[in-house]
Amino acid sequence: MEMLSWGEIILRIATQLLPVWIALVATFALSITFKRRLGLYGKLFDSPIGMAGFGLVMFWTYTGIFAGAFDLVLTHDVLDQSASMKNKGPGTPFTQMMGTPDPNAYPYYLLGGDNLGRDVFSRMVVGAWEVIRIAPFASLFAFMVGITLGLPAGYHGGRLDTVLSFLANLILAFPVILLFYLLVTPEIIQTGIPVYMAAVLFVFPIIFLVLLWNSRFHTQPATRNLYVGVTLVVGTWLYAGIAWDADPLGLVSFPPNLLVVFVAVVFVNAPTVFRIVRGLTMDIKTRDYVAAAQTRGEGTWYIMLWEILPNVRGPLIVDFCLRIGYTTILLGTLGFFGLGLSPESPDWGSTINEGRKLLSMYLHPALPPAIALLSLVLGLNLLADGLREESLRD
Amino acid sequence: MVEHDGPILEIENLSISFFTRLHEIPAVMDFSVTVHPGEAVGLVGESGCGKSTVALGVMRDLGVNGRIVGGTVRFKGRDLGTMSAAELRAIRGREIAMIYQEPMASLNPAMRVGRQLMEVPMIHEGISATEARARALEVVGDVKLPDPERILESYPHQLSGGQQQRIVIAMALMSKPSLLILDEPTTALDVTVEAAVVDLVKDLGRKYGTSMLFISHNLGLVLETCDRICVMYSGEAVETGSVRDVFDAMQHPYTQALFRSIPLPGTDKNAQPLKAIPGNFPLPHERPEGCNFGPRCDYFRAGQCDASDIAMARIEGDDRHFTRCLRVAEIDWSAPPEKTGTVAATPPGKVVLRIENLRKYYEVAANALFGGGGATRVVKANESLSFEARESETLAIVGESGCGKSTLAKLLMGLETATDGAILLDNRNIEQTPIEQRDTQTVADIQMVFQNPFDTLNPSMSVGRQIIRALEVFGIGATDEARRDEMLRLLDLVKLPREFAGRMPRQLSGGQKQRVGIARAFAGGARIVVADEPVSALDVSVQAAVTDLLMEIQRKQKTTLLFISHDLSIVRYLSDRVMVMYLGHVVELGTTDQVFAPPYHPYTEALLSAVPIADTRVKKTHIVLEGDVPSAMNPPPGCPFQTRCRWKPEVPGGLCEREVPPVRELAPGHQVKCHLSAEALARMEPVIRVAAE
Repeated sequence: MEMLSWGEIILRIATQLLPVWIALVATFALSITFKRRLGLYGKLFDSPIGMAGFGLVMFWTYTGIFAGAFDLVLTHDVLDQSASMKNKGPGTPFTQMMGTPDPNAYPYYLLGGDNLGRDVFSRMVVGAWEVIRIAPFASLFAFMVGITLGLPAGYHGGRLDTVLSFLANLILAFPVILLFYLLVTPEIIQTGIPVYMAAVLFVFPIIFLVLLWNSRFHTQPATRNLYVGVTLVVGTWLYAGIAWDADPLGLVSFPPNLLVVFVAVVFVNAPTVFRIVRGLTMDIKTRDYVAAAQTRGEGTWYIMLWEILPNVRGPLIVDFCLRIGYTTILLGTLGFFGLGLSPESPDWGSTINEGRKLLSMYLHPALPPAIALLSLVLGLNLLADGLREESLRD
Repeated sequence: MVEHDGPILEIENLSISFFTRLHEIPAVMDFSVTVHPGEAVGLVGESGCGKSTVALGVMRDLGVNGRIVGGTVRFKGRDLGTMSAAELRAIRGREIAMIYQEPMASLNPAMRVGRQLMEVPMIHEGISATEARARALEVVGDVKLPDPERILESYPHQLSGGQQQRIVIAMALMSKPSLLILDEPTTALDVTVEAAVVDLVKDLGRKYGTSMLFISHNLGLVLETCDRICVMYSGEAVETGSVRDVFDAMQHPYTQALFRSIPLPGTDKNAQPLKAIPGNFPLPHERPEGCNFGPRCDYFRAGQCDASDIAMARIEGDDRHFTRCLRVAEIDWSAPPEKTGTVAATPPGKVVLRIENLRKYYEVAANALFGGGGATRVVKANESLSFEARESETLAIVGESGCGKSTLAKLLMGLETATDGAILLDNRNIEQTPIEQRDTQTVADIQMVFQNPFDTLNPSMSVGRQIIRALEVFGIGATDEARRDEMLRLLDLVKLPREFAGRMPRQLSGGQKQRVGIARAFAGGARIVVADEPVSALDVSVQAAVTDLLMEIQRKQKTTLLFISHDLSIVRYLSDRVMVMYLGHVVELGTTDQVFAPPYHPYTEALLSAVPIADTRVKKTHIVLEGDVPSAMNPPPGCPFQTRCRWKPEVPGGLCEREVPPVRELAPGHQVKCHLSAEALARMEPVIRVAAE
């Protein structure tokens, strides 16, 4: 078989990505049709920058979901090696050194093979899955921690604020890479520190939700008990499974090395979120509606979570997008240094690092994951920009 | 530049529009005004009427979205519309200077005042730094700031609001402009400071011969400062003429309605209530056909007023007096306003709230982090307050910023606890009970209406939800449905349509938001409502409606209203008793008639003189207070008012500087905290006199 020309490669990649295109078109069509009813999300479709960003982000989100969860987009298994495909250029027909190739196998390595003879294209699309199943959730957890601590620090001020801000500054002052190295070192993992940290950090979402429901519904005990009860039962179950790997039902578990990465990312992101929330809270707490809530005798958590938090959502949403981007870069950095994730993992950081070793001879294994990483982070930044711009407009 | 005689500024048929993504929004339509040398023209109207846009149009500073779509603006005979950016720069700041509302926002916080002042002539006239500094010193002296040398070396934040505004005025005068545009220059200032600044502007106008375009929503202020007035409504000038003509013989229904909605001396909440303008101000894209004021006008006649655009018509016999009304000749302008029905005054009931010797001191630690060490300073926010409030009585608390009225409100609400003294609600002590420990009934009994309508409602919660939340907290209604019904009933009470329940606060106008705030305060059947300047941020025509609503609810529910305000006109209109506060002290307390007639406390006298009144018949004694309110951190010894009091020389032996005056009862229920002798008090003359008609 002949090598594919670049035109054919692009055409074949586009065909492979067909489910992604369909999903993207459907998303945009629906969103633009109903944009006037969708609030801030709808306004995004008035801004070209925001749309471009959203398009990039959703492209990688759908690619990741289809490739990682449904085995749709990828052409070969990410771990399958073929000695004859080592460092072969893009568009090389698929061969195997020993035995005959599976007749159902995809006949080409669209973006070539890496130094172990694995398909670069497949590893890139599955790499998206590695990112989108960690980055948004890690950012969400960082937000839960940052909000739960930042609100009281900003609202009460005083010594509580001093202590919490000091701790946040302490974490921020520590070099991030060094912190990661420490956290993922096997010796440190053996001491159990990451698990204890997970135990502390993962309890915050439960605290957050319980406070949220209790402050709102304490006047109606029946409703309150229902909400708080459900939160506690589901939360504790997930908590036991995720943080302690001790789910009594044996359903929820979390790969230990992924947990370490997760904890590390939440740990370094939470202080920044804390500082943003604290600053915004200090501003909003002087408003008359906060005073009105105080003069009604509302509890402090109601004021913080229901009077202040909804009104700082604009900057927080923007920061959330940016933070997913930072987290994506962080994950890339972790992978690049071979920290945390398994060495075989197709995440972008690890693949870039492997490609780096032969970079002067073969460019093709390192470039696709680098471009993927760049475009996703660019998309997130553009999306954040678009949201910021549109939230300021009427 | 060639000497120009003739009008300084001629605006002819000016139209300005703003362009958004979807459509063009006309902000000013067919607007004409002429300013002659040395003349002061007032531009009056409610918020959103386009008066500030006119000012920005003159400066050609309309931003990216705004554009002049018709008409001309000529400054000294030259068309500003055709000038290049460089020519405009040469005129702005040098020939035309502008003074804005927020002094702090007009000054560069990172630059010493002196440098900012010197910049102006150095850029525009290219004079040397030494010359510029000499001129800065002279102008700072002209705006009557003490110790000009020190002021020039200070940063803006080291000056008080009044001083900052004087610096802004000085800056505007640095290059001796021929036209001064003042956009609400005193709105952010206290009344006594406002009076002094207005006085200064008038003097300087006379001294430098500067023409002025004075933009304000306050008719009284325009009467005091201007020669001519132009009333704007919804983007159009509706009436323009000399101040005398427009105030005494207005020829447009909107001007008339405006004057009838402000509390002038003689109006009374029971005998002659204010008449609010019905309806709402039209949004720019919802303007009606024909007369913009038509739908709200008492004299509206279908077919005539809504047929076509209306042009300005000249009133014969008056000096350049124009009106935009087709029915001028048919309306009997001297007819007295229709009686809207008098209401019987409700007699005050039993005492519900008694304050005895209440004190609140704050300790300000020098070091907030490791408190204890370092010197602590004591701020005496409230100093031995004693008064009582009865059922269905309105007690007005009057004073300028820093007088302690907000601290008093906080103590009543339980957001702070008292240092000393007692607050008795139905003879129960609550002064040491913070709000978390108060029982639901006490919390529901004392509620508050806030000042800023744009801040009083949570922007991300629907109106109905916010009222329902108050009901939930006060434990009213057993089920969600019951609370919903109660919420709708409260909306009825404040005269808002029931469909507002589902709206978000941003969809409501300022007055409507304030009504929601009132509904929320009354959710728990409040018996004492602390209203903190509830109408001061609203437009005059809306003020009347909101005040009347408060009065009406008070009559129905026998509420005790503690009305905090600095606007003595409205206080005189609606309150039964008045308490005047200065630097944490109650300096005078009595019935409205007692406080508004001599003998006064010297501070009350100055306050009364400072409040601008939009009535040409009123003659006021002119009292200008020197300086600013002293800081509560560092109050003067003896009488708190002694630093600014004009009666101080009457008290022998420097008593005022040594001792805090005792509370003296001048008449039953009328007390004054002053050292002045009975003879001196008896010599006081009324500050406000209404000339006999």
